[in-house]
Amino acid sequence: MDEHEVLEMLEEKGVSFKKIPWARYGYVVEDEPIDLGKTVEHMLGLIYIQAPISMVPVEVLNPKPGEKVLDLCAAPGSKSTQIAQFLDGLGVLVANDVSFDRVKALASNLQRFGVLNVIITLMDGRKFPRFARECFDKVLVDAPCSSLGIVSKNWGIARSWNLELAKRLSKLQRQLIIAGFDCLKPGGELVYATCTLTVEENEMVVQYLLERRENAVLKEIDLPSLRYRCGIVEWDGMKLDEELEKTIRIMPYDNWAEGFYVARVLKEGDS
Amino acid sequence: MKPLSPRERRFLENRLRSLYGVEACFNDLVLIKCGRRRIRAATKETMELASRLRGVQQVGLYVMKISDGDISLSVEGSQLLDDEIKDNVIELDEEQVEKWMKAIPIKTEKTYRGRYVVGKFNHLYLGSARVSRNGLLYPQIPKWRRIP
Repeated sequence: MDEHEVLEMLEEKGVSFKKIPWARYGYVVEDEPIDLGKTVEHMLGLIYIQAPISMVPVEVLNPKPGEKVLDLCAAPGSKSTQIAQFLDGLGVLVANDVSFDRVKALASNLQRFGVLNVIITLMDGRKFPRFARECFDKVLVDAPCSSLGIVSKNWGIARSWNLELAKRLSKLQRQLIIAGFDCLKPGGELVYATCTLTVEENEMVVQYLLERRENAVLKEIDLPSLRYRCGIVEWDGMKLDEELEKTIRIMPYDNWAEGFYVARVLKEGDS
Repeated sequence: MKPLSPRERRFLENRLRSLYGVEACFNDLVLIKCGRRRIRAATKETMELASRLRGVQQVGLYVMKISDGDISLSVEGSQLLDDEIKDNVIELDEEQVEKWMKAIPIKTEKTYRGRYVVGKFNHLYLGSARVSRNGLLYPQIPKWRRIP
């Protein structure tokens, strides 16, 4: 069943939507007379409901059919299902998470979406390069973060946020980005993403990678008609790598949606 | 997780042929035994990579369950076989589809060969339902994907 047939099915139920210009398969629901999460289409995996900005990292990663792709922090699986759609059944997706409970949700979503070419692993992402070094064409590190970009949805995040938390997460994120990068084949690409806004969890993490891996090069990101701004290169009296301007910050008030940070890193070398 | 042996695969193909009229099934895919009764399907490339990794929990897609020689297809299993399924299919209307996805028993007048039938709505296959002696079909929709 193709995209248009699914859209027709939903239109018959009175759902109206608008194509997201920068997302290959994304639509924003404008009028939802029924609860989409309780429809047959949702239960059969013909549609997947997620916030539009959450689709940005996979759009930037742009997996192609035939590639081997690693989603290092995959649960609950929104981005994994999106990667699977890009792969179109060709290549392999490895969806990993560290939490057993979250892996169960990941497995359900990938089953519902009908993904044949997937391997679900349960492991600390930091250990992945031990047996999968230079194995993947693309790696997504959608790192655990302090989630400041989704405060509008959950005010409790702001109440429990503190700088210590951000610094603690930053340490984990640095280890994850290095692990993800080491799993890349030369010539492969990594996308690092968080849904938070602190420099410690974003630009400083990418800077850490650039300092430790000589063959890590930042690439420009181009998403037409999405409002975003460049990464920060000066913070708290500290000068960061100028190249970090190539990373993007999507502020919640830019698109009246969630906030996100996304960096696209190339591993130089012959593939 | 172990791929089916050629003998086990032949047995499965024969059962699918006699129960659902399926002539060609899962040709390019590896079928994997998962526990005693469950079968998953994956591409060859996926299996190759899985053998190199650690911490593997699942590979590919859950497609069917075998019980006493009968085969219950999952939603995805029936969608993979698609129009290859010729026998033991029940065409559902919109109201029945809702019931099916809520795992509410559906009354049927017809008699079916075997213990399971596959539900179909337009071009969509919805997995198997167990046929009971009292003429009711019990859709085998797992709890986590039922419409509440």
